[in-house]
Amino acid sequence: MTSTSTALETLGPRGARWSQLALGVGVLGAALAAFLGSQFHDGFARFQHAWLLACVFWLTLSLGALFFVVLQHLVRAGWSVVVRRVAELVAANVVVAAVLIAPLVVWAAMGHGSLWSWADPESLRASPLLQGKAAWLDGRFFAIRCVVYFGIWIGLSRWLLRHSVEQDSAPDAKPTLALELRAAPAMVVYALSVNFAAFDLLMSLSPTWYSTIFGVYVFAGSVMSFFAAAVLIVSFLQGRGLLARAVTVEHYHDLGKFLFAFVFFWGYIAFSQFMLIWYADLPEETEWFHVRLAGSWKLVSAVLLFGHFILPFAGLLSRHVKRRVGFLSLWAVWLLVMHAVDLAWIVLPPASHGHGAESHAGGAIGLVDVACLVAVGGVWTFALVRSAANRSLVPVGDPRLPESLAFENL
Amino acid sequence: MSSPQANAAPIYGYLAEFDDKDALFACAKAARARGLTEIEAYTPTPLHGLPEILGYKNYVPHMVFMGGLIGVLTGFGLCYWVSVLEYPLNIGGKPFNSWQAFVVPTFETMILFASLTAVFGMIILNGLPQPYHPVFNVEKFARCSSDRFFFIVLSRDPKFDLNETRRFLAEQKALSVDEVPH
Amino acid sequence: MGSAHGPISVGSAGTQSRGEVWTRPVLVDGDQSLGAVTRRVCDVVEAPKPPRAWYIAITISASLTLMLFGMVVYLIATGVGVWGNTNPVFWGWDIVNFVFWVGIAHAGTLISAILFLLRQKWRTSVNRAAEAMTLFAVCCAGMYPAIHVGRIWVAYWLFPLPNQMQMWPNFRSPLLWDVFAVSTYATVSLLFWYMGLVPDLATLRDRAVTPLRRRLYGFFALGWRGSARHWQRFERAYLILAALATPLVLSVHSVVSFDFAVSQVPGWHTTIFPPYFVAGAIFSGFAMVVTIMVPARELFGLRDLVTMKHLENMNKVILATGSMVGLAYATEFFIAWYGGNAFERFTFLNRALGPYAWAYWIMIFCNVVAPQFFWSKSIRTNPWLMVGVCILVNVGMWFERFVIVVTSLSRDYLPSAWGYFKPTPIDICTFIGTLGLFFTLFLLFCRYLPMVAIAEVKTVLPDAHAHDEHGHAGGAAHGRSPEVQHV
Repeated sequence: MTSTSTALETLGPRGARWSQLALGVGVLGAALAAFLGSQFHDGFARFQHAWLLACVFWLTLSLGALFFVVLQHLVRAGWSVVVRRVAELVAANVVVAAVLIAPLVVWAAMGHGSLWSWADPESLRASPLLQGKAAWLDGRFFAIRCVVYFGIWIGLSRWLLRHSVEQDSAPDAKPTLALELRAAPAMVVYALSVNFAAFDLLMSLSPTWYSTIFGVYVFAGSVMSFFAAAVLIVSFLQGRGLLARAVTVEHYHDLGKFLFAFVFFWGYIAFSQFMLIWYADLPEETEWFHVRLAGSWKLVSAVLLFGHFILPFAGLLSRHVKRRVGFLSLWAVWLLVMHAVDLAWIVLPPASHGHGAESHAGGAIGLVDVACLVAVGGVWTFALVRSAANRSLVPVGDPRLPESLAFENL
Repeated sequence: MSSPQANAAPIYGYLAEFDDKDALFACAKAARARGLTEIEAYTPTPLHGLPEILGYKNYVPHMVFMGGLIGVLTGFGLCYWVSVLEYPLNIGGKPFNSWQAFVVPTFETMILFASLTAVFGMIILNGLPQPYHPVFNVEKFARCSSDRFFFIVLSRDPKFDLNETRRFLAEQKALSVDEVPH
Repeated sequence: MGSAHGPISVGSAGTQSRGEVWTRPVLVDGDQSLGAVTRRVCDVVEAPKPPRAWYIAITISASLTLMLFGMVVYLIATGVGVWGNTNPVFWGWDIVNFVFWVGIAHAGTLISAILFLLRQKWRTSVNRAAEAMTLFAVCCAGMYPAIHVGRIWVAYWLFPLPNQMQMWPNFRSPLLWDVFAVSTYATVSLLFWYMGLVPDLATLRDRAVTPLRRRLYGFFALGWRGSARHWQRFERAYLILAALATPLVLSVHSVVSFDFAVSQVPGWHTTIFPPYFVAGAIFSGFAMVVTIMVPARELFGLRDLVTMKHLENMNKVILATGSMVGLAYATEFFIAWYGGNAFERFTFLNRALGPYAWAYWIMIFCNVVAPQFFWSKSIRTNPWLMVGVCILVNVGMWFERFVIVVTSLSRDYLPSAWGYFKPTPIDICTFIGTLGLFFTLFLLFCRYLPMVAIAEVKTVLPDAHAHDEHGHAGGAAHGRSPEVQHV
C-alpha cells in the first residue's frame, strides 16, 4: 500500500510553452481568416458565418463537457472521476466562446442582418411570416437571451470547477455532496438553456424554418464532440507522461462506449428530423433541407450520413477498437472533423442562400471557415491550457477517486 | 459427452463441492496448473474471471454480428423487392425506392435477427436443451443452483487417475468429493 | 486489496479524509447469503397457498378479463361501429390505448437493458418483474391493432405474407413499421425475459418436491446446469441482447410516434415526437412498475430484496423523464407559436382552451406537476404517497395520448368538419378489460415464476465480490458495511 500516487499532476512549465504555441497558431489563423474574408465582395457576411461556425464548434465542446460533468454528479458516477477534471476545465472554457461570439451578437443587436437576417428590421418588415414572431426575433431581446445562456453556462461550469478544485488541497467530501445535491436542478437549467440557445444561435439563421427537435440535434452533436475531444485530450496528456497512472484502458473503453452511443443518438435524432420533414413534405419545412440537398451541399449531406453515422457506427462497434487508444483516437479525430462539417452544414448554407441566387449554393465550405476554426481554436486552447496550468489534472481529493482508479469493465 | 471414451473409466468424473468461491477459484487454478484440461466448474451465479482461468473461448459475438448483417440485407431486400420490383405502387408521390422509409423495417429486422442469434446461439453452443447429464446423478448437485459451487474433473482427461485425481480434489478444501456415474 | 487492481495503488493511507473509501449502498437487506436469497424468492412460488389478497385480486382482474373477451367478441361480431370512432375522429380510444400500453412496456426494457449497460446494479431486484410487465403490456397493446381492423380474420394482411391476391403491404407506411417494430419488440422482450429466467427455472427445478413441478420447470430450464461455460456464453449473450434492446426500445416508441408525426395533421407533425414519445414511455412505464411493485413486495414479503432504495431510484427516473416530457411540451408550444403556422397555433390554443381543455389540464397536472413532488425525499420514499403520484402519472400519460389523438382530429383545417369525440361504453369496458388482462397475467406471474432474478441478485451481494482476485470493479465499489457513507 503506497499513498495515493496520483498526487497533483500539473502541466508545469510545459503548459506555458503549449499555451504560447496555441496562441500563435490562433493569431495566424485569425490573420489568414481576415485576409481571406476581405477577398470576397460579400466578405464580411461570409466571414461572420465562418466566425459563428468556429465559435459554435468550440462552444459545443464546452457544452458537451458541461453536460458530462453535471451528469456525473447527478448519477454519482464513480468510474469517471479520473477524467472529470479535464471535462471541468473544458466546460469552464466556455467563457472563450462567450467572448468571441459577443461581437456577432452585439452587431445583430445593433440591427445588422448580415448574419442573422431577421436582425435587420427591414427584412423583418418585408416578411409577414417573420412579423408574427417579431417579438422573439428582436435584436435586443436576442442579446439579453444570449447573456442569459452564456451566464448560465459560465456560472454553472465555474461553480462545478471551483468546488472540485477546493477538494484538491483540502480533501473533503462536502463539496461532492453539495454538487450531487444540486446536479438535478443544474441539469434542468442546462437543458432549457441549450435547447433555446440552439434555436436562437443556429435555427434562427433560417428565420422562417423551425423544427422542434433542433435543440436535441445540436445537443447530441455537442456531447458526441466532447467525448471525441476527451479521448484526444487524455491520450495527448498520457503521451506526455501525464495521467499515465490514473487513466487506464478501462476509462478509454467507457469514453469509447459513450462516443459510440452518441454517434448512434445523433444518427437517430438526425434521421428523425430529416425523415419526418421529408415525409410530410410541407414547404415551410422542406426549404431547409432543399438547400442542403442541392449543389455541393448534397455531397456534404452524404458525407454526414456516412461519415458522421454509418462508418463510425460500424467502426466503433467492436470492443477491441474502443480498447485500443490508437484506433479510438483516430475515430475521435474523424468525428471531430465530422462535427465541424455538421455545424458547417447548419451554419453556412444561409450565407450563400441569403444572396438569393440558388445556384450560388456552390459556395460550400471554404478556407475561410478552416482559418476561423483554427483562429478560435488557438485562443480556446490557449485559455484551456492557461486555466489548467496550475491545477491538478485529476480531482485528487474526490472521495470517489479510489473507485475510479480501480474501475474495470465487465 | 456421455458415451465412454477410449480410456474408458468406470465413472464420468469426480465432483468436488465447495461452499466458498475462493476455494473454487483456487481449485480451478490448481487444476490448470496440473495440466488438467477436461474440467468444468458449476456455480449458482456467473463468476467473473472463472472462464478465463478455465481457458474458454466465446463465439457468441461473432455469430450475432453475422445475424445482424443478414437481418439488414433481409429487411432492406424485402422492402426493395416488394416496393420496387414486385408490387410498385405510387403512394403519396413518394419514389418506389423510398430508402428513407425502408430504414425503419430494415433496422427492426436487424435487431430481430441479431437478438434471435444471440439467444439461440447461446442455447445451441451450450448444448441445450439437454435432457440428461451425468452430474445430476449426484444428489447434492441440486444445491448448485442455489448456494453451492462444484468442480468436476472428467474421466476422459488424459491425466485423470482414479486415485490421484480424487486425492487432488480432496486437498482443495472441498466439502466433499463424489464419484459421478455415467 | 488495492494492490491487485492494475497499475495504480489506491492509497487509503493518505490524508485523513482522503482515506475514507466511499462505499456503494448495499442493495439487499436482511440475510445476504446465497441460500437466503434463493429461499426468499422461491418461497413465494413454492408456498402451498398464496396470500388471501392474491385470490381477491385475481378474482377481480379475471372477471375484468372475461369482460374484455366479451367486448372483443361483441366487437368482432358487430363491427368497429360499436366504438365511438366516427367522423372526424376515426382514431379514437383504440390507438390511445395501444400507445398507452406500448408506452408502459418500455420501462421493462429500460430496466433490463439500458440500466444494465449503465451498470446500475440496483436493477437486479426489479428487472424480472419489470420485464414480465413489459410482456403483458405488449400483449394488451398488440391486441388493439389486431381487433381494430374489424375483419379480424384478415389481420394477417398486416404482415408481408404471400397471398392469393398477390398483394403486398406498403413499406412506406408507418403503420407497417409499427407491425415490424412491435412484433420485434414483443419477440426480443420475450427472449430477454426467458433467457434471464432459464437459470432461475433450473433453481426451481432443483428444489421441486413434486414430479409435476420438476418436469414443468425442468422442461423450460432446458437442462441448465450453471457450468462456467454456460455462464460465460449466457453473460455475453445477455450483454449483447442489452446492447440490441437499447436502440430497439428507442425505435419502438419512435415508430409509434411516426404514426402521427409523418402526417400533416396539426399537432401531430412535429419533429420532436420521437425522443419525446420515448421519454414519455419510460415515464409511464416506471410509474406502472412502482404502482405494481409496492403492493407486490408487501404482499409477498420481498421488502428485503426490493428495498426503498430501489423504489426511490425509480422515482428519480420518473422525475427525470417527467421533466423531459415537460420540456417537450414547452418546446412544442413555443415552436407552434414561433413557426408561424396558423393551424399549428390554433391547435395548441385549442388544446389548452378548447372543448378538451379539461383533458389537457389533467394531462399537464398529472405529467408535469405531479412528478415534481418527487423532488421531496420524504414523498419519494413513502410507499403510499409514491403510488399515489405514480397512479396520477399513469392517468396523465393516458390523457396525453388522448389529447394528441383526439384534439388534433376533432378540429383540423375545416371548421365545418369539426366534431366532438365521445367514447361508447364498449370503448370504456374494453379499456378496463385490458387493465384486467394485464393484472391477471401479472398476478399469475407472481405466483408461478420467480418474481426477482435470483441468479442476478446474487451477483450484487457483497459476498459475490469480496473474494475477487481478478480485479473486477466490485472490489472497491462494494463494501459490506451497512453504515454506508452515502447512498
